[in-house]
Amino acid sequence: MFLHIENLTKIYTVDHETLVGVDNISLSIDRGEFLSIVGHSGSGKTTLVSIIGGILKPTAGRVLLEGVDICTLDDSKLSEYRANRIGFMFQFASLLPILTAKENVLLPGIFNPGPKTDKDKIARDLLEMVGIGEKLDSYPSQLSGGQQRRVAIARALLNKPDIILADEPTGDLDEETEAEIMHLLQEINKTQGVTIILITHNLGLAGKAQKQYRMSRGQLADI
Amino acid sequence: MAQISFISVALKNLKRKTFRTGVLVFAIALLVSLLIFAISFTVSVASSLKKSSERLGADLVVVPVGARGFAEEFLLESKNTSFYMPFSIIEKVRKIEGIEALTYHTYLSSISGLCCDIMPTRIVAYNPETDFIINPWLQKSLGRPLQLGEAIAGFGTSENLGLGLLDIEATIFNNRFKIVGVLEQTGTGLDHALFMTEENLQNIIESGKSPLKKGQISIIFTKLKKGLDPDFVGRILEGEIPEVDVVARSDMGEKFISTLADINKIFLLTTILASVLTTFLVWAIFSAIANERSKEIGIMRALGAKESHIVRLYLIEVLVLGLLGSIIGVLAGTYLSALLAGSFSLLKNISAGLTVNQQAVIAMVGLLVGTTICVTGAMMPINRIKKMEPLLVIKEE
Repeated sequence: MFLHIENLTKIYTVDHETLVGVDNISLSIDRGEFLSIVGHSGSGKTTLVSIIGGILKPTAGRVLLEGVDICTLDDSKLSEYRANRIGFMFQFASLLPILTAKENVLLPGIFNPGPKTDKDKIARDLLEMVGIGEKLDSYPSQLSGGQQRRVAIARALLNKPDIILADEPTGDLDEETEAEIMHLLQEINKTQGVTIILITHNLGLAGKAQKQYRMSRGQLADI
Repeated sequence: MAQISFISVALKNLKRKTFRTGVLVFAIALLVSLLIFAISFTVSVASSLKKSSERLGADLVVVPVGARGFAEEFLLESKNTSFYMPFSIIEKVRKIEGIEALTYHTYLSSISGLCCDIMPTRIVAYNPETDFIINPWLQKSLGRPLQLGEAIAGFGTSENLGLGLLDIEATIFNNRFKIVGVLEQTGTGLDHALFMTEENLQNIIESGKSPLKKGQISIIFTKLKKGLDPDFVGRILEGEIPEVDVVARSDMGEKFISTLADINKIFLLTTILASVLTTFLVWAIFSAIANERSKEIGIMRALGAKESHIVRLYLIEVLVLGLLGSIIGVLAGTYLSALLAGSFSLLKNISAGLTVNQQAVIAMVGLLVGTTICVTGAMMPINRIKKMEPLLVIKEE
């Protein structure tokens, strides 16, 4: 199994009050799968992908990627895991305003120097692929919301990740742009074999994934 | 086109708020310039005193009782003063055990009037047979001893203005003198004197315009036998000859040194206060930066940045700020030191100046202190930045 989630639980304590973010979830995902998780705000979707992405530690349970439990990794190894195997897309414009589109795409490269490849060319090709090859030197403030999401997709792909975690990546976009971004993710999944976990509250969008799950009060169920 | 790096991202971060960056650079520059000025002032006075006393080449300086201050003013500060003691003191000093060599000077101040056609200046008459102070300087500049009726100008005398006045004649106390040359700079108060051999003094005394009387000298310079403690011999000298005061080489400029110690305390206090304020300013600004950029830091962490990457990114920012401020501070401080040197009577009267090596060391100290203070102020916010939980800061709206 490529990605195996086992009895995953996350409990928050806020002002002496206990909140269950993720409640004993188990899930197996094959390499190259495109799955979606729908649910209302506060249902635990973001908590779940954050644990899978290694930016949040669970209270209990395991996340095994090709047999390695990422929950036991130290900060340095976890950072390497994120840099090498995960591509994040967030539910807001997550580009650094001081960097151009191309520099934003190149940003993960400075944290993961990896083999000596022409990352500059890769970044250009990725921006070309997501359809904004002419906006290389534009700053985020000069790009539309849809263009910024495309830059974020290109950035997520720079280090050739195994998994893209897209947390409501089209949340504040119009329907047309939303469809374009969704199409782009499907293409990436198909052509590059990248596993995609899409978090959304839009059932229509979720229906385009190969597998769909619903999350409610920290628990996961098939749709 | 070049790929991005930690340095390029840090530089872009600094450009993001140029006013804030400018304020920080200015604050660090102010601190460093104050530090550079303080150190330059202290070191130049202290080293000038040391250099002057070393250049004189005497282990002990013997002056009339009560004239110690005048002697220091004459030798270190270039002030016109006259003080005399009987010639017979020389023999008394010579008899003290441990004295290896001695020589003496007689000091005169020229006066304005018909008797002298030079600017009022200090005249040093020396014994060419025994002298070990002027002779080495003379050998270097003139290559021969001075003759009767000849004088040589110190580097800083009015006669040396323009250097075109060599081989001119001057009237000093109604006696004609040929100014045969200019000595090299010695860094002592004697740079502002005219030198002649003591055989000229008889004619000057006879002119009746000088306060000097026959059989008087001003100062005796002594060299001690190797291994003897100057302070010990000095105490014996003062005990044996009550008419004199003795100044050891290491005690030359005691008045300056005590003034300098007080000034140092003020400088130290000011620098400490400025350092604390600058550290606090850096801390406050980097705390604000940490809050402003928390989401970006969370994003970078999610993209694979390790804690050490975040620290590196912000340390580069701090180091660039610190170095830039320190370099400006070093330049401003050095310029200020040169500009204001003339405004301080303490510096005006002595041949203060720093060597290139001393200036380089002071500049390095300035760079080091400025950068260290910047890094110290930013360390706590940087430490907080690196510990931020990525998800929490990403979700903060």
